Amino acid sequence: MRYLMTTKPTDVAPDENLFAAMGAFVEELTASGVLLATGGLAPNGVRLVSSGDEITVTDGPFAEAKEAVAGFALIEVRSEEEAVELARRFRRIVGDGESVIQQVFGP
Amino acid sequence: MSESILPAGVQPAEAGHRDDPHRTVDAVWKRESAKIIGGLTRMVRDVGLAEELAQDALVAALEQWPRSGVPESPGAWLTAIAKRRAVDHIRRARRLDEKHHQLAHEQDQKEQRGRFAEEPDQDDALRLMFLSCHPVLPTPARVALTLRLLGGLTAGEIARAFLLPETAITRRIADAKRGLAEARVPFELPDDSAELADRLSSVLEVIYLIFNEGYSATSGDDLLRPGLTLEALRLGRLLAELAPDEPEAHALAALMEIQESRSAARTSPSGEPVRLHEQSRGRWDPLLIRRGFAAMLRARDTQHGRPPGPYLLQAAIAVTHAQARTAEDTDWPQITALYEALERLIPSPVVRLNRAVALSMARGPEAGLTLLDTLTTDPALRDYHLLPAARGDLLAKLGRYGEARPEFDRAAALTRNSAERAFLSRRAQELAPAEPEGPTLGEAATAFLARDGLDASTVRAYGQTLRRLCTSFGDRYPVADLTADQITRTFTTAWGGAAATTWNRHRSAARSFARWASLGDLAAGLERRTEPPSRTLPIPPDQLAELWSRPGLPLREHSLWRLLHESGATVKAVLLLDVEDVDLDDRRARTPDGWVTWRSGTARLLPMLIADRTRGPLFLTDRRPGPARRPRDTDLDPETGRVRLSYERAEYVFKRTTTSLDPAGDGWTLSRLGTW
Repeated sequence: MRYLMTTKPTDVAPDENLFAAMGAFVEELTASGVLLATGGLAPNGVRLVSSGDEITVTDGPFAEAKEAVAGFALIEVRSEEEAVELARRFRRIVGDGESVIQQVFGP
Repeated sequence: MSESILPAGVQPAEAGHRDDPHRTVDAVWKRESAKIIGGLTRMVRDVGLAEELAQDALVAALEQWPRSGVPESPGAWLTAIAKRRAVDHIRRARRLDEKHHQLAHEQDQKEQRGRFAEEPDQDDALRLMFLSCHPVLPTPARVALTLRLLGGLTAGEIARAFLLPETAITRRIADAKRGLAEARVPFELPDDSAELADRLSSVLEVIYLIFNEGYSATSGDDLLRPGLTLEALRLGRLLAELAPDEPEAHALAALMEIQESRSAARTSPSGEPVRLHEQSRGRWDPLLIRRGFAAMLRARDTQHGRPPGPYLLQAAIAVTHAQARTAEDTDWPQITALYEALERLIPSPVVRLNRAVALSMARGPEAGLTLLDTLTTDPALRDYHLLPAARGDLLAKLGRYGEARPEFDRAAALTRNSAERAFLSRRAQELAPAEPEGPTLGEAATAFLARDGLDASTVRAYGQTLRRLCTSFGDRYPVADLTADQITRTFTTAWGGAAATTWNRHRSAARSFARWASLGDLAAGLERRTEPPSRTLPIPPDQLAELWSRPGLPLREHSLWRLLHESGATVKAVLLLDVEDVDLDDRRARTPDGWVTWRSGTARLLPMLIADRTRGPLFLTDRRPGPARRPRDTDLDPETGRVRLSYERAEYVFKRTTTSLDPAGDGWTLSRLGTW
C-alpha cells in the first residue's frame, strides 16, 4: 500500500550534517524499493477556488504558511506500522517539526 | 498483514494498538531481515543457524521494547543483539577453530571501538539472495526460502499467498535450509563468471516467478494477489540496486514496474481480466511507468555492447506497449521483432504463442493463425489455456465463429483460475450459434460411459480418453462434426510420445466410441502400435518433474538419478564411475565400454557432489566398512574410507522414494530412469 508523508515547514535552516543524513536515508529507501517519489515544495504557489461557475486564481505566498506543505515522500510499504516506522526515522533526522502520513488510494 | 513473526506461544499483548511493540518489531523485521540474516550467515556460515539467531534477537526485542520503549534505531538494535548472539554461539561451540576465534575477537574489537551498530554490509543481502535462489534447491523451495529470508515473511503469510497449508511451507523452508547445508553451498559468490551468470539468472527467475504468481494467479479465485507482486517488486528493485552493473537486473525491475503499472486496469470491477488493448490507459500508473522507463535506461546503459538478455527483450516489449498512447498506436512490427529475438534466445512454445499474437496485430489474423497452428500439436502446450484462447480470438476476428467457439470452451475448461474461466465462457457464449443440432460431444461421452454392462475399470480407461477429447474440442462440440483428421491430431498431441500400450488403449477406446455413436471410422488415421513384449517403460515426464522437485532430495540421489536419466547408461556402469573418470567441462565420463555423457541437469549437480575430491568412487555411502567385510581398495574413498554406493542400496532408496509416484505402489527400478 502507498502512503504520502507530508512535512510542514520549520524555521530551522538545514546544515550539512542534515543533508548528509537525509541523503543516506533517501538512498537507503530508494535501494529497498520503498521510496517511489519525493520532493520539496516551493513556499509560494497559486491558489484556485471554485464557487458556482466562478473560479478564482490567486498568487501566493499565503498568510497561513505554517499550515502549508514543505516536502513530500510517496512510499510503498506493507503496513501502516512500516510507514510510521519510516516516518519516525525521518523525524529523528530532521529534528523538531511535524509530518503527516496518509494512505493513498487509487490510481 | 501484520501477523506476528514470533515463535508460537508468544502472543502480541494488545494487537492493533498503534504503539504495540509487536507490530513495530514485525515492520522493522520485514525491512531489515535480509541484511540481518545476511550478516549473520557470513559470521556463522549456516543460514539455518543465522535465522535462529535472528529469531532470538526478535524475542529479546519483544521482552525489552515494551519496558524500555522502541529504541532510536530499531534495525541497528536488532542487528547488534543478533550479532552478539552469534558471537556467543561461536564461543559456546568451543570448536577452538582458529577462524571462529578470530571472528569473535574481531567482533569484540569492533564492539570496543563503538562500531557495533555499523551498517550491515549490503553485499550480505546480495549473497543471501544468491544463496536462497541456489540451483541445488527445487524451484518451489527457492521461492519459499527467498520470501522467508529476504522478504521477512512468515510461513503463514507465504502459505496464504500460495493457497497452501502452512505446514507445507514450513516443511519446504526447513528442507531448503537442510538442502543448502548438505550441499555445502558456500556463502560467497562464485568467482567464475559463467557460474555467477548462472546463479544470477536463477535469482532473476525466482523473483519473476513470485511476481507472476501474484500478477496472474495460476489458481484460486482472485486474478491478482497484490501481496506477491509487491514482494517481487521490492526484491527486484533491491537486486538492481545491489548488482548495479547487471543489465538483466535492471531489465527485470523495468519489466515488473511496467507490468505492475497496469494492475488497476487489468481487471474489471467484476474481477474478470481486461485484455491489454481494451484496458483504459488512463488507469495505468504513470509513476510506475516512469520508474520502469528509468530502470530500462539503466539496463541499456550497463549493457556495454553485450547482446540483449531475455529480460531486456521482455522489458522492451513492455516499454513499447507503455509508449503507445492508444491501443491503435501500438508499434506491433517492433513488438513482433522483439518477440522474434526473444524466441531465438528462448525457443519456447509460449514465446512463439506470444509472437503469433503480435504478428496477427502487425500483419493480420491470418498470419498469426498460421504461426499458431504450428503449435497445436506441441505436447508442451497440451493443457495451456492461452493457446485455444488465442486461436479462438483470431478465428473470431476472421469471422470463423463456428471454429472460434469450441476454442474458447476448451480454454475455459483448461484454466484453473475462476475469474478467467468466467471470462472465456462468456466469450464462447457471445459467439453462440443456435443450439447445435444433434447431441454434443459431452452428452455423447456421458451416455457412452453410462451404458449397462461396462465394468468399472473399462469406464475408468474409456473415461480418460473421452475426457481428453472433451477438453480438446469442448463439451459442446457437435459430436457429428468430428472428423478422423481432428482425432488423429488430438491423439498425436496428447499421446504421440506415450508408450505403445497407452496409445493402443486410447485408440481402442476411440474406436469403440465411434462405433457406438455410428460416427464412421474416426480412428482411421490411428495406426495400431507394436507393443514391445517386456520393454522397460519410461517414467512419464510429469512424474519425473515431480521427482526432481521433491523438497530435500539428497544431493547424491539427485545427481545419480539425473545422471542415469540424462545418460541412459546402465546403473552398473554409472555406479562404477570414479571421480578421476569424470570430465566436467565436456560433460562426460570414461567407462571401460566407452563414454557416458550427460546434460545440464547433471552438469549443475556433479561439481557439488564432487566438491574437492580428486579421486575415488563418484557415488559413496555414508558409512565406512565394518571390520568383517573389507571391500576392495578401488571401492573405498581414499580420504574418508567411505564405501562405493552399492547397486542394492541405490535401488532400494529409489524404490522407496518412488513408491508414492508408482500407481502400483511398488516403487520403480533405477533402470527406468535411463529409458525414454
